[in-house]
Amino acid sequence: MSLFPTGVAASPRCSLFRWKRKLPNQLGRAKAVRSVGDECSPRGYLDEQFCQVEDLQDEANPNFAEEVVSLFFKDSARVMLNFEQAIEKHPKDFARWDAHMQQLKGSCSSIGASRVKNECTSFRNFCGEENAEGCTRSFQKVKREHAVLRQKLESYFQLLRQAGPAGTATRPAGK
Amino acid sequence: MAFQTQGSNLRALLVEDIKVNRMILSQMLRKFQVETTVVQNGKEAVELFLGGETFDIVLTDNLMPIMTGPEAISKIRAMGATDVMIVGVSVDANSMEEFKDAGADLCVPKLKLEILEHILQETRSKKNKSSA
Repeated sequence: MSLFPTGVAASPRCSLFRWKRKLPNQLGRAKAVRSVGDECSPRGYLDEQFCQVEDLQDEANPNFAEEVVSLFFKDSARVMLNFEQAIEKHPKDFARWDAHMQQLKGSCSSIGASRVKNECTSFRNFCGEENAEGCTRSFQKVKREHAVLRQKLESYFQLLRQAGPAGTATRPAGK
Repeated sequence: MAFQTQGSNLRALLVEDIKVNRMILSQMLRKFQVETTVVQNGKEAVELFLGGETFDIVLTDNLMPIMTGPEAISKIRAMGATDVMIVGVSVDANSMEEFKDAGADLCVPKLKLEILEHILQETRSKKNKSSA
């Protein structure tokens, strides 16, 4: 199972799917990419928005997706750190807590980080209920999902780099 | 995907405080060869209009520091900038009403390339009609 949830109509142009249809001599590369997804739970970590991000890559910005993801993890780590400080300094300030999580949810949505986004939504619901214990539990889940996604995407981009650019592939003789 | 430009020449103002979102939306607009100015909050957007800048389309987030998207939209419309296409972009379902009440033409939870293409085509048609 890939990084995408079952049943999601992810675009076939998205790289994780595109490579499954590559020529036989690229099967090794496709297998490497799929292996990242095989370790994920069937519920999936990314939605089709990630395909949108990959679609934005072009000759002028060949590493756009990786740059966006790198920025996402740098920014989101800062937001989560600010949030942890906010919990200490402003206990039960649900409006403040919600504002932090709103930021994180927004950037999760932009890159298609669906599971982290869903946990952010859950957290915000607890804020709305003024349930501090629920917020704390939910935030731990946010951190866990965030850490798992980071690992998955780091592996994914590492495999992409190892596989090399698609343009270097050669068609088998006679085909 | 083939990106149609059709002689774009559109000028966009992107109002977004989150870096990741700015990066993605800027790149989307670049794909359609839209000349884009980027600011980080509603106040900066309003200041551009006050300074006499004009845009064909404004894409704005809701919750931002200093001034929110809806607040900025209200001020921009109050200045008489009624022709500019204003699009609110926010994952928050509660934002839709706020954007519409402030005077946005359109609100979307997420901007996808297909949706942006359609919005830009509409903006271009509107611009061509008013300059005819």
